[in-house]
Amino acid sequence: MALLEIENLHASVGGKEILKGITLALEPGEVHAIMGPNGTGKSTLSNVIAGREGYEVTKGNVWLDGKDVLAMAADARARAGIFLAFQYPVEIPGVTTSAFLKTALNAKRRAAGQPEIDAMELLKLVKAKTAVLGMPYDMIKRALNVGFSGGEKKRAEVLQMTMLEPIVAILDETDSGLDIDALKVVSEGVNSLRSPDRAFLVITHYQRLLDYIVPDHVHVMAGGKIVASGGKELALELEAEGYAKYLNAAA
Amino acid sequence: MKPSLITDHPFGEDYAKRLGVAPWRGHLPGPKVEEWRFTPLRSLAKIAFVPATADIDVDVIPRNVPKVPGAVRLVLVNGVYRKDLSDTDLGKGVELSHGKVAAKEGSSLVALNAAYAPASLALHVNGKAKKIIHIISIGAAGPTPTALHPRITLTAEAGASVTLVESHVGLPGEAYFSNPVASITVGEGASVRRYVSVDEDSEDFHLATSLVKVAGGGTYEGFHLGLGGALTRQEIRVALTGENANVRLNGAYALTGTSHHDITTVIDHTLPNCTSNQIFKGVVDGESHAVYQGRIHVARDAQKTNAQLVHKALFLSRGPQVDCKPELEIYADDVQCAHGAATGEIDPNHLFYLAARGIDPETARSLLVEGFLADGVNEIGDEAVREIFGAAIGGWLKRRQA
Repeated sequence: MALLEIENLHASVGGKEILKGITLALEPGEVHAIMGPNGTGKSTLSNVIAGREGYEVTKGNVWLDGKDVLAMAADARARAGIFLAFQYPVEIPGVTTSAFLKTALNAKRRAAGQPEIDAMELLKLVKAKTAVLGMPYDMIKRALNVGFSGGEKKRAEVLQMTMLEPIVAILDETDSGLDIDALKVVSEGVNSLRSPDRAFLVITHYQRLLDYIVPDHVHVMAGGKIVASGGKELALELEAEGYAKYLNAAA
Repeated sequence: MKPSLITDHPFGEDYAKRLGVAPWRGHLPGPKVEEWRFTPLRSLAKIAFVPATADIDVDVIPRNVPKVPGAVRLVLVNGVYRKDLSDTDLGKGVELSHGKVAAKEGSSLVALNAAYAPASLALHVNGKAKKIIHIISIGAAGPTPTALHPRITLTAEAGASVTLVESHVGLPGEAYFSNPVASITVGEGASVRRYVSVDEDSEDFHLATSLVKVAGGGTYEGFHLGLGGALTRQEIRVALTGENANVRLNGAYALTGTSHHDITTVIDHTLPNCTSNQIFKGVVDGESHAVYQGRIHVARDAQKTNAQLVHKALFLSRGPQVDCKPELEIYADDVQCAHGAATGEIDPNHLFYLAARGIDPETARSLLVEGFLADGVNEIGDEAVREIFGAAIGGWLKRRQA
């Protein structure tokens, strides 16, 4: 069974249909990339799966490991194993990264019937994870994302992903605002999480990220639909030729 | 004794005499007094409070009083010092005495306090006080609505330093009206840290006045936490009387129900090279009403003054009201002064971000509220007190959810 199954998904924002029938299945261990021009519904797809308010699903289903995702509130989806790495992680003044991580981790543990983690255990865990990811451990003492550089914010997202161990991770334009060094670090972090019981949906505008996070499948999205699918070579073709022919096909 | 602000208040002295009520009822500032415009005292004036007596039977300290590690506890019940409930060893450098309160010039509330305060709890600090002084002021009305007038005097001699924590709490019973006055003198180069927590019950009144004088090179750090009460006002007046004096005045409040909470600060810069910094943050819910008034007065001679104040309020619902009035009165020409004020609601993008990490909406809101107030609380210089006050806010959030 696919870890994430999207069936004929239609969604609107303010009465305007953005997603016009998306069907996609992420099998265990797979990395799928979705590429496409701006304004084509890529971020809408990630927000709809994660459960952001303001999107109306008019048709279709989303299944996470057999569970009905659309029936759950956003926080329940996350606890069930969906992780959205944000394009623009929000800055939350006054809330330390460590307090936030502890709250998030314990929410998930409680839901899974596991004992809660205390502050000392959390510090140990964060120390281990930041070491693996090559991040400064001190980061967790700072307010969440406040004053972080673009690269630090994306690394913080990867750290959260590492700690929350999702079943399905969605990376929404994770490469935006990253220089090449940060891109490498973030990609290595993601690659270290690839495993046979996890799947990734990587949304990106550019092929560059896919040099580092090599996908099993590449889909082209245009006009709210998937208009072409293929292997990783499809990304290279898009890089060379652009999206023009798919835009015409979608129109 | 002639109180200064009776004027044409409907509860004026004659009115009080004629009706045969306690004369202090005539001493309340009326709605025409500009400083009291946002905090009307009608609800207070409707209750026939009687002056507190010392013979109330109290032998326990309420549970909501925090334990400050290593601190000396001094307990006042209805404004009266209770040696039997207090610690006796104040540590090196601190002396305790009880003086009669002199009727001095001041606002009507200060005059009222002077008229009724049983005695002043006077602390005299010479050198560096080793232990934190924790004053616990307990209001206990018993079967009759009661007015109490705690009086605290703190004098830090030149070069001295001390940390004072004040907890203002109440015991179950009829409503009480606490009218505490603290007179604080910070000597030359001395340092006083004072952390005040007001956590009265929902039917109680608390109108506190702090009169602070800071001499040259001295530092005063004040923090005022407000978590409840029917009507609370924390008025802090600071006079910087020497050069290079500094004041940091911060606070946080969290209100629900019909609580009314007023922070009024007046900072007087009279001489050059002094600084004052204020950060006050509050959250409001229910039908509560928050007031912040911050006046900074910079005299003509007070060149090179640096004075900043910030007040921010967060609405948790659409019911509350917030009045904010910053006032800068500047007569010197070479100064840096600024004020900032903002009100807002919880950002839905913040809520979604936390939801996307599996955090339920109630927990997310609590986390965001604590985070919002942390800006103020983090200004508390003493780490243990910072944690205690943070925990008190956490407790307020839990009560609100329950």
